[in-house]
Amino acid sequence: MSNARTQPSQEHGPEAVTAKGRSGVALDRFLTFGAVVVLFVVFSITAKNFFTMRSVLSLLLQTSTTTLMGIGVTFTIITAGIDLSIGSVVALTGTIAVMAAIAGVPIWISWLIGVAAGGVCGLANGLMITKMKLPPFIATLGMTFVIRGVALTITNANAWPAPESFGALGNDTIFRTGNQFPGISYPVIIMIVVAVLCHFILKKTRVGRYTYAVGSNEEAARLSGIKVNRVKILAYVACALCAGVVGTILASRMVTSQPNSAIGYELNAIASSVIGGTSLMGGVGTVGGAVIGSFIIGILTVGLTMQGANYFMQQIIIGLVVIFAVYFDQFRRK
Amino acid sequence: MRKLLFVLVALAFVAGFVSAQEIAVIVKTGNSSFWQNVQTGCFDAQKELKAKTPKLSVTFLGPQSESNVAEEINIVESAIDRGVKAIVLAPSDVTALVPAVKKAKDAGIPVVIIDSLLTGPTSNYASFLATDNDAAGRACAKELIDRVKAATGSDSGKIAVMSYVAGVGSEIGRVGGFKDYIAKNSHLEIVTTQYSNADMPTALNQTTNVLSANPDLVGIFGANEPTAIGMGRAIAQAGLAGKIVAIGFDGAAQLQNFIKDGTLQAIAVQSSYNMGYQGVKTAYEASIAKKKVPAKVDTGFIIVTKDNIDTPAAKNVLY
Repeated sequence: MSNARTQPSQEHGPEAVTAKGRSGVALDRFLTFGAVVVLFVVFSITAKNFFTMRSVLSLLLQTSTTTLMGIGVTFTIITAGIDLSIGSVVALTGTIAVMAAIAGVPIWISWLIGVAAGGVCGLANGLMITKMKLPPFIATLGMTFVIRGVALTITNANAWPAPESFGALGNDTIFRTGNQFPGISYPVIIMIVVAVLCHFILKKTRVGRYTYAVGSNEEAARLSGIKVNRVKILAYVACALCAGVVGTILASRMVTSQPNSAIGYELNAIASSVIGGTSLMGGVGTVGGAVIGSFIIGILTVGLTMQGANYFMQQIIIGLVVIFAVYFDQFRRK
Repeated sequence: MRKLLFVLVALAFVAGFVSAQEIAVIVKTGNSSFWQNVQTGCFDAQKELKAKTPKLSVTFLGPQSESNVAEEINIVESAIDRGVKAIVLAPSDVTALVPAVKKAKDAGIPVVIIDSLLTGPTSNYASFLATDNDAAGRACAKELIDRVKAATGSDSGKIAVMSYVAGVGSEIGRVGGFKDYIAKNSHLEIVTTQYSNADMPTALNQTTNVLSANPDLVGIFGANEPTAIGMGRAIAQAGLAGKIVAIGFDGAAQLQNFIKDGTLQAIAVQSSYNMGYQGVKTAYEASIAKKKVPAKVDTGFIIVTKDNIDTPAAKNVLY
């Protein structure tokens, strides 16, 4: 989260002025990660059965989907854009994967079809934003309805059961050792792989550096020869591919098509990213930040549920944590 | 010329409807399995009534989505304008449809309300047909208590309620009735009430957390279709299928599978078919037959279990 702000700004944005030294970076990183640890310890003490191997693994599994969406949306926010269609893409891609499996497509190919469908949605978003010059907020908001409509149409709004083997991706685990260790779920492994890959792309590749450049100052990026449109399209494709992975994972966990689900998931994704230090103004953000942000939300949700806290109270607490996490983050930077 | 032709065709179309005795069925949306089932009921009633009134025609209309209230109002008003004999309406909002229904009444068109409550004076409409959600919630509670007793030999222990959207009309009746019956007829303790916002993955996660926080849970209630499906998945994944009493609501294919494999012990299924069938029949009585109709009709629900899932009574309501 901290290097979220400092690293790109050292090269591009006006934030370069406020960039902190090495010790500041270390302190920032310690503080945000510390918040995760504090939450974890608090719930381990207060919530019964929270600190058990099974619960921790379940927490990882439940949070993995928000994390993946958070990583994806970070790409678009860094380019000073946004993707509001994530929830609909999740519903559509899961639905398409299930319908493919029901139609007799081999299971693992149906999963890939689901993810690829996400890529197509992202391409449509990207083209509308770059070629039709629509504001990302409007283009992706419009697509929210279009994509949801397609998901409802192909299922006739039904929850269709998929073949049982379709559930392997979301429900099976590896490293299982009998009853002592229930194993790590595939979605958690996928989350780690995607996080490492996306971190590498953003930090170590040219297209990654261009992404920050476009978000910091689009005109300057254009003048220095960066193909701005191509960078933006790639950001929206990356985001929707992540959403496609999530849609396929959730459909697999449910072994059911769910065209009406995932409404508003984009807001959790955006919150994760912003708690993790991504600036909605663009040019700033990291994969690590999005991961930490999503786990702050995830630990709160799971912990409060397990504590038996009143549901309405949970909503208030989560909302306040989002607000104050970002407030303290800004405060610290001044 | 073309425009004129279009107007003429439209006029002929409208005239055709007027000379036919039209009953307009206007529902919340055409695109869900629940409403498809309502439609089947409507057209079966039409078939039956055509014997008495050969010119009878039942039309089935609805907006694209359940939240599109304004479009539903437009559909009602255009039905009034073309002079239908009666309207069967499932209002997608408790207040927004009141003026349109009043307008129909003033035009002498009886309105039969189905599925969801409408506020305003009840004299605005001829009859109200819906599932008695309070009774359905109580029936679920009774089923849960009986099964916990059968399994553990006592009516005490912890249970959880997995609800959907806090405070909507059907939820207040359904979950309220459930909780009230539990409190008055057993020593079961409701340890938590969660709201999934009718989102399946959320219900799965919430149920997983509730189950791991309360290993001694004896029963659980999933109060609508997506919530019950998510809950069933969580129970199956936790390896608790058949070890904990689980009651669901509504009758999607996935829930029927859960009943058959023993993950859920019972589901309360509303008779959406009956809403359509009785809705059209009641509208016919009130308009064309000019008879008095009851102000309130319970369209009923059935508790479906492994034992009765293949009987005709259950098959009639399952979709």
